[in-house]
Order: sequence, then C-alpha cells, then structure tokens
Amino acid sequence: MSIEPFNRLVKLTARAFYDDITTKGDNQPKTSRSDNRGIAVVVLDALTRRQWVREEDLAKDLKLHSKQLRRTLRFFEEEKLVTRDHRRETAKGAKIFSAAVAATADGHHTKEGEEKIKLHTHSYCCLDYAQIYDVVRYRLHRMKKKLKDELEDKNTVQEYICPNCGKRYTALDALRLISMEDEYFHCESCNGELVAESDKLAAQEGGDGDDNARRRRREKLKDMLQKMEVQLKPLMDQLNRVKDLPVPEFGSLQAWEARASAAARSNGDSNGNDPSKSSQGLGYGGTPMPFLGDTKVEVAFSGAEGNGENIKSETENTSLKVLPPWMIKQGMNLTQEQRGEVKQEAKMDGSSAAVEFSDDKKSTIESDDQKNIQDEYVKAYYAALLKKQQELEEAAKKQEELSNPNISNGLSGMSSGRQVGMKSKRDEDEGDDDVDWEEAPVAGNSNEHYKVDLNVEADAEADAVAEDDDDVDWEEG
Amino acid sequence: MFFHIVMERNMQLHPRHFGRNLRENIVSKLMKDVEGTCSGRHGFVVAITGIENIGKGLIRDGTGFVTFPVKYQCVVFRPFKGEILEAVVTMVNKMGFFAEAGPVQIFVSNHLIPDDMEFQSGDMPNYTTSDGSVKIQKDSEVRLKIIGTRVDATEIFCIGTIKDDFLGVINDPATA
Ligand SMILES: [Zn+2]
Repeated sequence: MSIEPFNRLVKLTARAFYDDITTKGDNQPKTSRSDNRGIAVVVLDALTRRQWVREEDLAKDLKLHSKQLRRTLRFFEEEKLVTRDHRRETAKGAKIFSAAVAATADGHHTKEGEEKIKLHTHSYCCLDYAQIYDVVRYRLHRMKKKLKDELEDKNTVQEYICPNCGKRYTALDALRLISMEDEYFHCESCNGELVAESDKLAAQEGGDGDDNARRRRREKLKDMLQKMEVQLKPLMDQLNRVKDLPVPEFGSLQAWEARASAAARSNGDSNGNDPSKSSQGLGYGGTPMPFLGDTKVEVAFSGAEGNGENIKSETENTSLKVLPPWMIKQGMNLTQEQRGEVKQEAKMDGSSAAVEFSDDKKSTIESDDQKNIQDEYVKAYYAALLKKQQELEEAAKKQEELSNPNISNGLSGMSSGRQVGMKSKRDEDEGDDDVDWEEAPVAGNSNEHYKVDLNVEADAEADAVAEDDDDVDWEEG
Repeated sequence: MFFHIVMERNMQLHPRHFGRNLRENIVSKLMKDVEGTCSGRHGFVVAITGIENIGKGLIRDGTGFVTFPVKYQCVVFRPFKGEILEAVVTMVNKMGFFAEAGPVQIFVSNHLIPDDMEFQSGDMPNYTTSDGSVKIQKDSEVRLKIIGTRVDATEIFCIGTIKDDFLGVINDPATA
C-alpha cells in the first residue's frame, strides 16, 4: 500500500482548486489581516503527513487558531476531502489516542496516568483518499463537460426564424409549428417555412453585432477549455497514475485506533533486531506518525524516508526502485539511488531548503522499554562518535600539511572502521547519509525546526510540476 | 419524475347522487375528473391512490348542488429539466423528432441529435448513422434528456436531447 502517489494527488488538488479559498466567519470584516488564503493548502498538506489526528493537535502543530482550523476542516468535509469524527471522551479516552499515536512512532506505551472523569468533545480528522480520488475526477469531469456543452450548444434551446416576417420561435413551440403537408415547421402568421437559427448563422458569416458576440464567446470558451487541459494536466496525469493503485484506507477512527494499539503491542514484544523496527525508534527528528497498516507484512520500507520529513508512516516511503533497507548490508556497494535517491532529493532540496521539518512535538517519548533505551543509547553513542570523528577529521585536515601522518592515519583508520558500521546503520534508519549529517537524529534530540514558508512551497510545487517527476519528493511543511 | 402527493379539490355533486352511495359517487367522479389531467404546478395526475377525507358538504343556493372538499392521495408525473426519460418516438421529420413519455410530449430538434446521424426521408422518415447500425424512426424507443420545459396551466411540453453519453436508441422495433 503506497500512499505517496495519493498524497501527491492531494497536494496537486489543493493547489489547483483550493489555493484561493478563504474560510472565515460571516461576521468578520474583509481585512487583509483576516485574509487567510493559502491556509487550505497548508492544512491539506499537513494532513497528507498524518492519518487520524486530533484537531486540537493539528491546530497546535500548524500554529493556527483551532476555530480557524475547524472552519477550514468543515469546508473540506463539505468538499468531501476529509472525514471527521467527533466524540465525547474523558481525559483517559484522549490518552488512548495519544497512546496510539505514540505507539506507532516507536512501539512504546505511554503511561496511562491520572485520569479525570471530565468529558470533552474532541474532533478528529483524516483524509479520505478513496473519496478524494472520486471527487477530483468528478470535478474535472464536470468542468470539462460544462465547457464542452456550452461550446457545442448542447443544452441550448434551438431557435427558429421565419425568413418572411422575421418572427422567432423556439423548439418549445414545436408542437404548434408542425404542418401536415411537409416535414418543416411553418410560421404561424404567414405560413412561411421556418429556418433554424444556427443554420442561418452559418449561412451569413460576418453578420451583425450579435453574431460577433456569439463568436467571441465561443472563442473564449475554446480558450478556456484549452487552458484547463494544459494547467490541470499534472493533476490528470496523477489521477491516471493513481488509478490502479490500491487506495490507502485508514478506516474509522475506532478501527484505526484498535489497529494502532494492536500493532503497538506486537511491537513491544518482538522488537528484536529487525532494523525496520529499530528504525522507527530512530525517527526522532520528525513527526511521529501513527501506524499505518500491518507492520509485519511491511517490506517495501525504503530510504526515501529521509527526504526532509523524516517520518511519515513507514509505508508511505515505498519507492519502487530503491532497495529496502533491510537488504542494505554493511559493505554493499550501492549507488545513492539504490540507497534512496539522495541525489534527486538534493536537487529538490535547493528549493525546499526549509524542509527540516517536524511539526509535531511528540518526539519526547519516554520509554519504559529496556530494549529501546539500549537502542537509543547505542544511537546516541554512534552519533557522538560520528561527530567527534568529523571534528577530528577536520582537525586532521588542517594538520595534514603540518603533517603528523601517524596520528591522523591511525585516527581515520580507526574511525573509518566505525564509520562503515555507522553508515549502514544510518542507511537503515534514514537513507540520508549525505544530507544533513549534523542533524543526525540523536535520541532525545527533538528537532523542533518548524518553518512554514509558502513561497518556498510554491516554488517546490512549481518545480515539481515542471519536472513532472514522480519520484521527486518536494513535500514540506 | 413521479411523486406521491396529497391534493385537495372541491367536488360539486348533483343531488341525484346523494344516498347511501354518496361516498362512492364522490370518489368515482373525482377519478373521472382528475386522472389524466395536467396542472402546471404538479404535473400529470396519473392515478388516485386513496382518499384522505371528505369534508362537510355545502349546499349551493339555488341549484341544489353540494360542494364537498375532498383530500386525496395521488401519483403525479412532472418532468424536469435535466431529467432522463425513456420515450417512444411518435413522429420523425427534417426538423427533428417527437416522442412521448406517457402523457408528456417531447421534441428533439435535429441539432440535438448526434452529428453522425442523418435524416433519411421516405415512407418511414428516420435518422440513421452512416453505417446503418442505429436508426431512429417511428416507434423507436429512445432515452433522452430533458433540456427545457414549457409549463402552461394545463399543459407541459418538453424539448430534449440525445446528444450525450448513454442517450439515444434503447430498443429498435425494426430489429426486435
Ligand atoms: Zn412568418
């Protein structure tokens, strides 16, 4: 189950149709301050990186007022892009959700501590991919049809003119106009043979001002249709691409939570040496994402993960040509592309530099799982080691001319042995070994870079569209 | 589109109908008067399905006729713009063709017939595709879309199109 093409579809849709949408209360004046165009796109983008999410959390992550977010979400609910669920729950009930979220991030249980018996209504929302696919297709179909119909005069009532006395009739008068003698319509007043108006138009090209207006209108319509074809082509292409893919399905909120917590349990038991699992624990730099699908069958988990939004759910990161990380072993001779197409990403990174993104702050997850602490410790150790090694290398470089070959050699020799291990480890984890070394996700180091830059985003979008390259991941906060 | 609605009507009854069959007489007269009529607002009354109630009669001065307010349920048929209907072709000519869907008459002008169908005159005027595979003539059954209605107080006339997806001949009597 690959979610990436669908996310791309959502993003293209957002930019094609919802770029200019403002959602505001009726009583608010139209000031530039309250102009929130573009919010819709931001919200949709954020949702592509989540599954079910509590709306309060989303608002916090996006630094939006929850009312504003709710208005936007309500709008999208009406547009059938988003499913929402509301329920009254205790503080504990809310915790279950948090636990589900946390569990999918690293397989921990959060402590279910104090609970209050106060009921609050919480709203959750989630993208409805299956419906989005249908809605977008239907929308395009209607747009095209409307223009074409107008162009072909499809739904217009035929008019008839009497060439003798100039009296006009419409097709609605047809019943009164048929004559018994022949197969034509006849004028009621002079019995002249009526002529269909379009025929007359075609006959006398040029015509009067009315005709000109009509021709201009036709040209305009044709123009619009053409523009639509061109401008929405990326969207239509994406629809075609997605056509035969299985649609990501999260189910209802309850079902999703149940699955997530079940997965959390199995994660806790069988954490083992499976790198794909330990990699989950590593994703501290990014957003801990709720669990998607069944971990056990998840195979196509790839290095594409490191592409700036470190963690989405693991299944999102399936990219076809990339070797799955569990296949990448120490000492294998792989190209960057095989490891996770770092090059293409780097290309994108130019425009989407602000991508270091982690708009969830849930990265501080306390663990009572012994295994995990160990893992994290090891990671921290490696990261520290790596940093040190880099420092040393730099120092060594400086000293190279001054020369003390023995020491530097010894150092690099020792540390390079380490580095191989480190590198493969990191490949498994992130597939991101060229880009941002320094930001290696050390356990406990919650990167809270959160940058929303709409311009940058627009650029990224433009680039992505221009290249029309499926594999390029241009997503960002 | 069909609707099942409740309507009301004042029935004037001649005194000779009074007696123990009064109620039956009112109902049968109502059916005779109402079924098959057309009102612009509700469309064609197809059938009366039940009597809700019959109010107190009011004797008219001078005539002896009595007016009963009658509430009745009935099925009505009201065509709408955009509605898809199946209809039987009744007449074909150079300007297009006429068809009937129950009580409703529909005219489809030739520019709303697909461009690949051409008019053929003769004994049995028809519209035919160039390969002859599809033919519209009298008694053909077509599926059409209503694009306009003319609603008078007592009459509804429609114009339709078959120039769209899934519209056109659905059953050809010639081949059947
Ligand atoms: Zn005339």
